[in-house]
Amino acid sequence: MTAAIPTIALVGNPNAGKSSLFNALTGARQKIANYPGVTVERKAGHASFADGRPMSLIDLPGSYSLTPASPDEAVTRDVVLGQQAGERRPDALVVVVDAANLDNHLCFALELIALGLPTVVALNMLDLAERDGLTLDPAILSRELGVPVVPTVAVRKRGLADLLAAVDGAILTHQLETHDHADPPPSDAALHQRARAIARAATLSETPVRRWTQRVDAVLLHPALGFLILLALMFVMFQGVYAWSEAPIGWIEGGIAALQEAVTAALPDGFLRGLIIEGILGGVGSVIVFLPQILILFLFILLLEASGYMTRAAFLMDGIMAKVGLSGRGFIPLLSSFACAVPGIMATRAIPDAKDRLTTILIAPLMTCSARLPVYTLIIGAFIPNTNVGGSPVGLQGLVLFGLYLSGIVGALVVALVLRRTVAKGNAAGFMMEMPRYQWPRLRDVGIALWQRAWIFLRRAGTIIFVTTIALWLLLSYPKVPEGSSESQVDYSVAGRIASGLEVVVAPIGFNHDIALALIPAMAAREVAVSALATANAIEAGDDEEAMAQSLSERLQGRWSIATALAFLAWFVFAPQCISTIAITRRETNGWRWPLFMVGYLFLLAYAAAGITYWTAVAFGLG
Amino acid sequence: MNAKLDSAPLGVAVRISRIDWDAMSHDEGRRLREFGLMEGIDVTPLHRGSLFSRDPLALSVGRMQVIIRARQAAMIEVAPTAP
Ligand SMILES: Nc1nc2c(ncn2[C@@H]2O[C@H](COP(=O)(O)OP(=O)(O)O)[C@@H](O)[C@H]2O)c(=O)[nH]1
Ligand SMILES: [Mg+2]
Repeated sequence: MTAAIPTIALVGNPNAGKSSLFNALTGARQKIANYPGVTVERKAGHASFADGRPMSLIDLPGSYSLTPASPDEAVTRDVVLGQQAGERRPDALVVVVDAANLDNHLCFALELIALGLPTVVALNMLDLAERDGLTLDPAILSRELGVPVVPTVAVRKRGLADLLAAVDGAILTHQLETHDHADPPPSDAALHQRARAIARAATLSETPVRRWTQRVDAVLLHPALGFLILLALMFVMFQGVYAWSEAPIGWIEGGIAALQEAVTAALPDGFLRGLIIEGILGGVGSVIVFLPQILILFLFILLLEASGYMTRAAFLMDGIMAKVGLSGRGFIPLLSSFACAVPGIMATRAIPDAKDRLTTILIAPLMTCSARLPVYTLIIGAFIPNTNVGGSPVGLQGLVLFGLYLSGIVGALVVALVLRRTVAKGNAAGFMMEMPRYQWPRLRDVGIALWQRAWIFLRRAGTIIFVTTIALWLLLSYPKVPEGSSESQVDYSVAGRIASGLEVVVAPIGFNHDIALALIPAMAAREVAVSALATANAIEAGDDEEAMAQSLSERLQGRWSIATALAFLAWFVFAPQCISTIAITRRETNGWRWPLFMVGYLFLLAYAAAGITYWTAVAFGLG
Repeated sequence: MNAKLDSAPLGVAVRISRIDWDAMSHDEGRRLREFGLMEGIDVTPLHRGSLFSRDPLALSVGRMQVIIRARQAAMIEVAPTAP
């Protein structure tokens, strides 16, 4: 053996507890390529044996067998067979099985053990097995399987030390043995028979199936009641995003204002002060204030996933999704897309049917992602009166927001229907899925995932948004308008002149110079539209005390008609303004064809929607 | 007796007597087997559809619960479990 650090892969059925085990073993020492969440990305981390020798761990996507049915299952097969490009074959496997579901999980385990790599079985979720009245004997299991079996409870970190010791031992003994494993692969039926026989042999006693889960499901999967509960949950989720974020948003705004004051006091008036106050703090700050809302949304989604409810939601939604040619599987990525389309599109890897998956990817950007919230909240706050609808407790502003979400969803369903009959024609999508047991979400795991999301958002704010904001600030600030000219600085600048060109194209749908100016940098990310408006506003206000004192929404009220504001909202329901989404679509569909198609059809829809909104509003006298 | 799983009453265990493997795609068949749905196995249909359709079907296989579509359930023949 070389001195290289051994690589150990965690592999097993979906929901066996691989990621939990991975989190427990590696703690914070993880490296996740880009967007984590559902186990679709390469997740690697470090841990050490009892004597301190390091090892590297990888968390593989869940799979049922070595014959993949989806792209993420193919990754699992290729890694364990040593066929994954750029990835060394693991030195050992930890096969994670759910103790309460041995009949099924042992099939894949048997297949993996037959590969002949040093292998240890983690008999996980022993606590749930006990809750369900199941008593197992790991020693019998180990004898039958021919590899070490270590009982674990990943979420309580039980059995971790034993597991690592067993892995160490397996690697050692493997080097001493000779290996010839030319067994022909057994048939599915034979494999299942063996799995069931072994499971029966290792089961010392069992009580009838878990009644508890079934009683909860009788309510949550009830054809009518279950559906109402799902709707209620969604409603609470979107309400929570607003109600609970108010206070933290206030703190962040206060913090940014304090920083701006401090900078004003510390720096002389000039280039640097302008850049920091208007460009960095004003621009990036206007995006960071949305962190609380994004985290609340993600918190809900993570809790729904961790509790096992998400699959029930997929079950309830399957009937509707089937009507537009999709499957309940698509509900999970689409719901994630309400937070951000990027992890949503990545989560489509779990959809086995290629056309079903493609359609889901193409409509994911229509879900109202959190990056639209800054735009929506700014415009709604400025133009929609903060009153209740006809004496009811329903606020008009909230109603408009709900309408925007709804437009996105309805648009997505219609688009899916059309796509499934044209470019993504194919067989009716299937829907086969395992239903996990209910569980209390573990605070720690939810915390880790939430932190990862926050970090991704902040990194985005610190990179893409930071750079575009500064570039825009420079383009807006130069060349300087000559003394005594009647033109404004914004109109005179490079950015202003480019915007004047674009304005010709978007003027028919009611867009003014402000909007034309905001649209270009917002190609990088939608929320940049807000920071662009804020930056342009700050520069234009310049040293004019009175203008400075006005808030951005007050300034917009003075400059835009309601028809223009509504058209701007309609535009953002559809416009594909997010570089990250386009990039991830290219990666997930292996080429430029589909991302270009997506961008094209979404811009067309955006233009049409904004136009129709504008012309209608003008007809009603709101122009 | 040739009842099909898609019309079997909810909450009553039945035994799979025959699966029409030829009527389904290779992948569908394999996934069914991975879920443990094979001839001779006992299953219990538990939930069927929502407000808007009779699809999908949730059933228990051993200690596991799985979801399939009615179309696949229609390819699975079931008989009463042996007393
Ligand atoms: N009670 C209990 N829950 C567990 C255990 N291991 C994992 N879980 C939970 O089971 C669910 C699926 O686990 P996860 O690690 O995501 O499974 P993966 O799909 O194999 O990565 C999560 O909600 C975990 O919190 C365990 O040993 N005991
Ligand atoms: Mg996982």
